[in-house]
Amino acid sequence: MSRRRIVGLQAASVLVLLGIWEAVARAGWVDPLFVPAPSAVAAAFPRMGRGALAGLGDTLAKTAVAYALSVVLGVAGGLVLGSARILREVLNPFVVALYGMPKILVLPWIVLLLGFGTTPAILYGAIHGFFPILVLVAGAVRDVDRTLVSVARAFGASPWQLYAKVVLPAIVPTVLAGMRLGIVFCLLGVLIVEMFAGIRGMGHVLNSLANGFQAPELFAATALVSAASIAIVLGLDALNERLSHWR
Amino acid sequence: MRVVALRALILVAALLAWELGARAANPLLYVPPSAAVPALVRLLTLDSYPELPASLLLTLREIAIAYALAIAVGVGVGAALGLNRLVGRAYGPIVAALYAVPAVVWYPSLMLFFGLDAASKIAFGFLLGFFPITLAVLAGIRQVNPHMIAVARAFGARPPTVFAKVMLPGMLFTLVGGLRTGLALTVIGVIVGEILGAKAGMGTLINHAYGLFRTADYVALVGVTLVLIVGSDAVASLIERRARRWTE
Repeated sequence: MSRRRIVGLQAASVLVLLGIWEAVARAGWVDPLFVPAPSAVAAAFPRMGRGALAGLGDTLAKTAVAYALSVVLGVAGGLVLGSARILREVLNPFVVALYGMPKILVLPWIVLLLGFGTTPAILYGAIHGFFPILVLVAGAVRDVDRTLVSVARAFGASPWQLYAKVVLPAIVPTVLAGMRLGIVFCLLGVLIVEMFAGIRGMGHVLNSLANGFQAPELFAATALVSAASIAIVLGLDALNERLSHWR
Repeated sequence: MRVVALRALILVAALLAWELGARAANPLLYVPPSAAVPALVRLLTLDSYPELPASLLLTLREIAIAYALAIAVGVGVGAALGLNRLVGRAYGPIVAALYAVPAVVWYPSLMLFFGLDAASKIAFGFLLGFFPITLAVLAGIRQVNPHMIAVARAFGARPPTVFAKVMLPGMLFTLVGGLRTGLALTVIGVIVGEILGAKAGMGTLINHAYGLFRTADYVALVGVTLVLIVGSDAVASLIERRARRWTE
């Protein structure tokens, strides 16, 4: 089956689903207070308008800072951990424990320390993105082909040259994979803080819409964030694809 | 040997730094270990939170129901996506795209729909567990050798037999990994749900201690919850290892 027919089938299925949903809501089988019809959700988009967009912008800005932090620190930490065998062996259980620790349990403490607002959101988002990137990069550095390293050393490469010419090019795919993974985690972390202790941002918007029983607006806002995060991930995937061709 | 000693040294140094730093800065905010241990004792003797057993039980029940639902629906959807080529090509990408959305955005809608009681936590835990299980079933089915299925069919095996005798052993490895990830995410989902808004359960106790600035009790509650989480993952990893040995 051709690609176009697959896309057609996908679009048709979504439309049918929305149609059924609309019919069920119109027929009064579900309480519109909790499950609004798609038409009501669509009508809510312009009403949310600026508030939701400002919230989304705020969330994305925090996510961007958290993401930059987690990528820089994760790659740097991964390079250090991956290069020094003794460090890796000693620290491994700590890294695994911190990585595996459900971050939600420390969230109240972070909020106690840093208060409500932007800083805890950025920190919490960065923690979410940092560990997967750290672990992936450390593994990739460790697994860089030993022969390449020995040959470079034998030909008199300085440590700096070794990293710039051998190690870094070798770990590019892993860094990209980590960046693809990290963005969703960062966004997740930021949204959770905004829901738990937010005064701005999309998480806060979603929460207050739910508390105000504004179901159409809530569904519209949820759709907006979901679309934004899918767009970001697909964008990173496309970038990944292009960079891997370049390699 | 030296590695183990170094690890122990780091652990002791960290605890010591925590103790001294917390005492010097703000014991209430940073909860030194010397304050956390008595709080843990008070918690376990049901002195500080008498409702601890009931809360643990509720959280465990929410996890169990959410996980059972996630397995049932995840295996069903994964099988539908994997067994039918057209369904897989049309709807697989949609499931994968939805997986890219940070799941917590659904939680306010679930809370609105299911209320503050257990149902919304079960729904959220289910949602988090559903995706890895579905995708593992899908990946597992795709890695089964199609020739084996064709041969089994040619020898007259009926679909249930093909599934049980050919597909299941072939995909068990992937499936069990997905089930383990699914359990971990279900547990997280239930606890995130409880912390973001609930009337009972471990998350509610944690929130209560945090809200009243009972930081030592908060640390103790986090410790108990952590045991629950690590324990569930240990059981899952035991089962995973069993299953792997069985396939080898």
